Amino acid sequence: MSIRVQIPAPLRSLTGGSDEVQVEALDIGTLVEALEARHKGLKDRLCDPAGELRTYVRVFVNEEDVRFLDGKKTVLKAGDTVAIVPAIAGGH
Amino acid sequence: MEKVLAHAKDGYPFEACGVFVGRPAGADPAVVEDVVPVENRETEKPRVRYQIAPEDLIRIDRDSRHRGLEILGYFHSHPDHPARPSETDRQRAADTLSDGVIHVVVGVEKGEQATPTAWVFRDATQSFEAEAFEVS
Repeated sequence: MSIRVQIPAPLRSLTGGSDEVQVEALDIGTLVEALEARHKGLKDRLCDPAGELRTYVRVFVNEEDVRFLDGKKTVLKAGDTVAIVPAIAGGH
Repeated sequence: MEKVLAHAKDGYPFEACGVFVGRPAGADPAVVEDVVPVENRETEKPRVRYQIAPEDLIRIDRDSRHRGLEILGYFHSHPDHPARPSETDRQRAADTLSDGVIHVVVGVEKGEQATPTAWVFRDATQSFEAEAFEVS
């Protein structure tokens, strides 16, 4: 099924400048693979070498953080919107 | 910029933070159209650390898209500390999605004197580069 994915500005060099892409996916795990198939390099920015979502990158489905759903196994349905959001923090 | 400095001073002695919304750089430089102050969600060391809740970013991103704008970057304050990115700032920017993102750091001295500097993070060098800005 087709899922809309909102792409933050720092990743748009990998999506040809698009701020939103559509991919076919059943869950977050297959969504990451589908993104990588179409936009090489995205998986590395979203996942660590073990394939888990990076700590400082948040993925939301319809404004719900997948960390509080089922992580990469979070099931998607047609019409869902996925947003990729950086975790912003720092300090002196 | 007044809104940024006021939020930084109001937050003193804790770090204050917020989000810049506007039109990205293309042929012309990026233009910040709005500043959205947010709560510092750091709970352990808010005098020396800041955190912007992803939930706040999602909300601001949605509202910006509806206005034909987007998130261009962020600001945070350094209470009684220089107005430049720290090593912690650099590491956290390098850990997430930051290439080309604007960061304004506001040094706040004794809660009164607030000084902003602007930076852009570059993945290629894994560092912040000083960025010129105009206040209109």
